[in-house]
Amino acid sequence: MFTIDKHYIDEMIAHARDEAPIECCGVLGGRDERVLKLYQATNAEHSRYRYNIDSQELFRINRECEENGWQFLGIYHSHPDGEAYPSPTDVERAGWPESLYLIVSLLSPGNPEVRAFRIQDGEVTEETIEIA
Amino acid sequence: MAVTVYIPAPFRKLTGNRSYVEGHGQTVAELLDELKTRYPALGDMLQNEAGELPAHIHIYVNNQEIYSLQGKATPLNDGDEVAVIPAIAGGQVLTPDQMLRYSRQIMIPQVGSAGQRKLLDARVLIVGAGGLGSPAAVYLAAAGVGTLGIVDSDELELSNLQRQILHHTADVGRPKVESAQETIARYNPDVRVITHRVRLTSANAMEIIAQYDMVVGAVDSFATRYLLNDASYLAGKPYIDGGVFLFEGQATVFIPGQGCYRCLFPEPPPAGMVPNPSQVGLLGVLPGVIGVIEAFEALKLILSLGESLSGRLLIFDALTMEFRQVKTRRDPRCPLCGDAPTIHELSDYEASPSSSLAGHD
Repeated sequence: MFTIDKHYIDEMIAHARDEAPIECCGVLGGRDERVLKLYQATNAEHSRYRYNIDSQELFRINRECEENGWQFLGIYHSHPDGEAYPSPTDVERAGWPESLYLIVSLLSPGNPEVRAFRIQDGEVTEETIEIA
Repeated sequence: MAVTVYIPAPFRKLTGNRSYVEGHGQTVAELLDELKTRYPALGDMLQNEAGELPAHIHIYVNNQEIYSLQGKATPLNDGDEVAVIPAIAGGQVLTPDQMLRYSRQIMIPQVGSAGQRKLLDARVLIVGAGGLGSPAAVYLAAAGVGTLGIVDSDELELSNLQRQILHHTADVGRPKVESAQETIARYNPDVRVITHRVRLTSANAMEIIAQYDMVVGAVDSFATRYLLNDASYLAGKPYIDGGVFLFEGQATVFIPGQGCYRCLFPEPPPAGMVPNPSQVGLLGVLPGVIGVIEAFEALKLILSLGESLSGRLLIFDALTMEFRQVKTRRDPRCPLCGDAPTIHELSDYEASPSSSLAGHD
């Protein structure tokens, strides 16, 4: 169970729509399972099929979270033309096993979907999102 | 050199839960080797089987990613702070339908599924949905070029159908960009078509071209050709040019910095020197040949395949079925891309006539 304020969900969907057709990406920083800040990041790949948070932005986001004593509670990206489920590449490149991976799907544009997954050692487990 | 190495959360289980460890080395490469001796599990994360730094690990020296410095050869000084942070990255793979649809080109070793993703990610602007633009758009769409911009302000006329294969009889009277969009959607739903139902002018060209990776010129007027040439150069985008006249066609590619249309012809011809394109006869297959060559050049640029027509003007004579080539090169005196350019922004191109000679349609 992952609890998150609704405005963060709305913000991720808005980010996905702004960046479409390319994939968007970002980080949810926080503490004690509570999201405190959403960081929209630049997709350095500028791609419809790839995302990679710009390395200098990643450094700045990580440093700010460290300074606040926060963790990367969530890592999100969008699938502009695909379902909200981690692709094999998403699983292969998931380098943050303690973070939850959230995927925003715009497959049906009027009805965007956000789902959350734990990706550890190549295993994908879905977590329920509870909107606070 | 003794440096401090920042260890982020995902790696701390490899360093006994420590956020900072000390490390030594003259360079990043030496530091990584040294870290591996003390933290073998961390070392394994920072090296792939070939002993190289994996693409999904970022290393920073004093807040700067090392690929913006000297890579693994980046020198270290006492007291530097080094950080190793796993990338946040991922991506989708081609769907089974896409693997099948594009299988004949994916099986080309120089294309593969990585090349197909490049095609699906590419954005090509086609200026003109007529005799040249139609075959170019059809083949680019069929190949899975993911975003096609189509610029055309005209409505379809019955006399266009003899060569403009993006459109059908029932479309007469409709905006060409609309019928083009529908035709492309029927060929390949993977392709996103962005319609620009405008005349390209110096007021809108930069804004439109900025949204694309390259420009395919499929126009029948000198004014538009010079506009496209100048705008593509100023935007830093490759410009693929084609033209036809009677039984002869031409195609070339201008890559910014390697010469442009003005290096060949600095100024448009004076008004009245060239006939109105709609008054010159033409077999539709001629722009078909040239438009397909333009499409091929676009695919080659996207896939970094072979040698582009940059630096060469290809001339096709349909009556003898001969292709000739003329070498072209950047002119240091070119008013646009020369050493002392005088053109720094788009100007009024309409002073020059709508015409042919080096091409149209």
